[in-house]
Amino acid sequence: MSERRILLGNEAIARGVVESGCAVATAYPGTPSSEILPAIAAYSDEMGTNTQVEWGANEKVALEMAIGACYAGKRSCAVMKQVGLNVAADPFMSVAHQKLDGGLLVVVSDDPGCHASQDDQDSRSYASAAKIPCFDPSDAREAKAMVADAFDLADRYGIMAMLRPTVRVDHCRQDVEIIENVVSQRDAVFDRKPAGKRIVMPAVIHGFLDDHSARFEAIRGEFGAMDRYNFEVPSEEPANLGVIACGISYSVVRDILNRLGRKDVSILKIGTPVPLPVNLVEDFVDRHDRVLVLEETQPVVEGQIPNRTAVMGRWNGWVPKTGELVPEVVESVLLRALGVKEDLSDREVFNKIEEELSPERRRPRLCPGCSHRPAYFSIRKVFPDAVVASDIGCYGLAIAQNAVDTNICMGGSVTAASGIYLAFKADGKGTDRPIFATLGDSTFFHSGMTGLATAVYNRHAFVLVILDNRITAMTGGQDHPGTGDKMRSGEEGVSVSIEEAVKGCGVKWLSVLDPYDIEKNKKTIEKAWEHASSNGEPAVIVFRHPCITMLKVKPEYRPVKVDPSVCIGCGICIRDFNCPGLVWDQATGKAMVDDRYCVNCGVCVAVCPKGAIVPEGGDR
Amino acid sequence: MQIVIVGVGGQGILFSSKVLGEIALRRGEKVIGSEVHGMSQRGGSVISHFKSGDHFGPLVQSGDADVLLAFDTDEAIGNVSFLRSGGTLIVNCDDPARFETGTMGEYLRDKDIKVLSVDGYGILREKMGGRFLFLNVMILGALVASDSSGISMEDMASAVMDLSPERFRDDNIKALKLGFKR
Repeated sequence: MSERRILLGNEAIARGVVESGCAVATAYPGTPSSEILPAIAAYSDEMGTNTQVEWGANEKVALEMAIGACYAGKRSCAVMKQVGLNVAADPFMSVAHQKLDGGLLVVVSDDPGCHASQDDQDSRSYASAAKIPCFDPSDAREAKAMVADAFDLADRYGIMAMLRPTVRVDHCRQDVEIIENVVSQRDAVFDRKPAGKRIVMPAVIHGFLDDHSARFEAIRGEFGAMDRYNFEVPSEEPANLGVIACGISYSVVRDILNRLGRKDVSILKIGTPVPLPVNLVEDFVDRHDRVLVLEETQPVVEGQIPNRTAVMGRWNGWVPKTGELVPEVVESVLLRALGVKEDLSDREVFNKIEEELSPERRRPRLCPGCSHRPAYFSIRKVFPDAVVASDIGCYGLAIAQNAVDTNICMGGSVTAASGIYLAFKADGKGTDRPIFATLGDSTFFHSGMTGLATAVYNRHAFVLVILDNRITAMTGGQDHPGTGDKMRSGEEGVSVSIEEAVKGCGVKWLSVLDPYDIEKNKKTIEKAWEHASSNGEPAVIVFRHPCITMLKVKPEYRPVKVDPSVCIGCGICIRDFNCPGLVWDQATGKAMVDDRYCVNCGVCVAVCPKGAIVPEGGDR
Repeated sequence: MQIVIVGVGGQGILFSSKVLGEIALRRGEKVIGSEVHGMSQRGGSVISHFKSGDHFGPLVQSGDADVLLAFDTDEAIGNVSFLRSGGTLIVNCDDPARFETGTMGEYLRDKDIKVLSVDGYGILREKMGGRFLFLNVMILGALVASDSSGISMEDMASAVMDLSPERFRDDNIKALKLGFKR
């Protein structure tokens, strides 16, 4: 029995994972992959598969749990985003060479164009480095089908396989066929023989390398025969151009050829870029005078083509070397390859419209009522000159209130603060300038704890501020060790105490505050730095207030207004507090409350140095 | 049918595209679209692409959209290039003159683009106690009224009902009717 439903790409992948008989699925949330694991839980419940779903504290933890399940003979799967694969790179590379019993699938969502990421690395390069097969879907339907084939391949060869959707596949919504049949799960068995099979030691690994290489080549042959993912769409008229298209670029280029009505372009679609079915590609290149390669983000397929004399792509600059291949870019490249001049007349009109109407460009910033905003405001108020290292999460958006100075990667704020302290120390000015590290609750468990232990051990003087909003907010509200809640209702977790973890790392000065209470908190911030600088060790503040977008109980209703007779138009509330609920009134040159965005949290009363923001009273 | 929906985080854009998808699915059409998650939901610009019929990719290309649904005036200005000649702009706006005068007015007339302006915040302030949450469904009401999507009020209301959480159902239907009448 089958049924058609509109699914998010990530839901289609999740459905495929459950239909494939995956017994254990793990993840750490990261856009664009975050919806996959919760959807696996939901489909597992719907279909009664008892699939175990767990958030790991980070991607390395998640992948290692999936590997363990695979060692015990189960099909298992770990999900992450491209940046998360760097965190999991250690187990990823190690397990790649092993001969596995269960089928192991790694789903890594890439983000070409950096919509929600600090880089746009291409995970196919990781697949290539690890010599594991990689599937590159072009839409939600294909992503779901590929999950089944990836598990099958992983099972048969005892190898880890990768599904690498990109953001436009993860976040496309498409009608997708779903089935009720499920590949039945095997019983968990841990076979201890042959001894040493799962032990990563040089003597053992040497025996694996040739075998691994042979498996990789055999899979290349299988990919060559997988004509559902690698196929030619021949041109209706004699071809003036051949296009090799991968992933979402295939879907995009098909729409563009239809739109332009061009029948003189043939397409070779490649859905399995690593290992590349080279014979197919060479044959296609041989039959065309010129070939354009469209792939995101790196020239992974292009680079594997032996003879590139007739090939146009990212290597030789025919295709922009960076960025997302959105339809506008693909059309422009395609027309150039076909020798057609683009019509750019409308572009001038749009520029003129922008000039006349100057629409506001809205960059992401902290939500109205967000508890991070007053926390940062208080730090900056007390120490305007402090160096504030931030981290990956919503709170990085406090850059809009000029509160954030650095941002590297998950957990990198703690260690950056250590480095900044050491730099000052090298000049003999260790504690002249206040140093703060800020990170969220989920990030603390992800990789903040190791940095904190290091800072305590080495006696680094800075204040670690844990912005605990009781959720992984940036990626849509996933639970983590600190919340203790699990994905399924009925499954009970345990909340791991941040305070106890901090104390366990050896921190002696710790304070838990409500960030909404700006006036009270200023003194404690001062004391924290006083302790850190005079004792030469980290002090920790936990700012605790639940995320405004995920409140389970209604917050206190504290509406405010700006008293225009008191407001002097200094702009501090707009610049330094930067809440979307407070806006500048051009006509009066004063601040005012924008009722479209204000959530009536009342926190901004403490922000105005003149007391112009006042409670309005009244009930909801 | 190709529709682009724009606005800012928190306006319920993703719910609107879900409703459109449900209606197309019930008609037996193929559906593909794309939405923006993550950073952009935190108060920044949000855009959702919706395509029904025979399409491969999820993104609407500039100059192809039949309808631009704009929940925010500034976002409408920044994204008007998505509309095709003869398309329809439905915009939440308290100053329709911005789309009638200057280069913008000229461009929209040249391209024969129909403009439907709804003072969404004004109406919601007056008729629904300033609960701006219902703006998205109100705009969907205007979409039905514009006759540009071929969606009947019956189909729209039934999809909105089925996809709404129970506590919002009555108010959503009220907002839908307000948008239809304006």
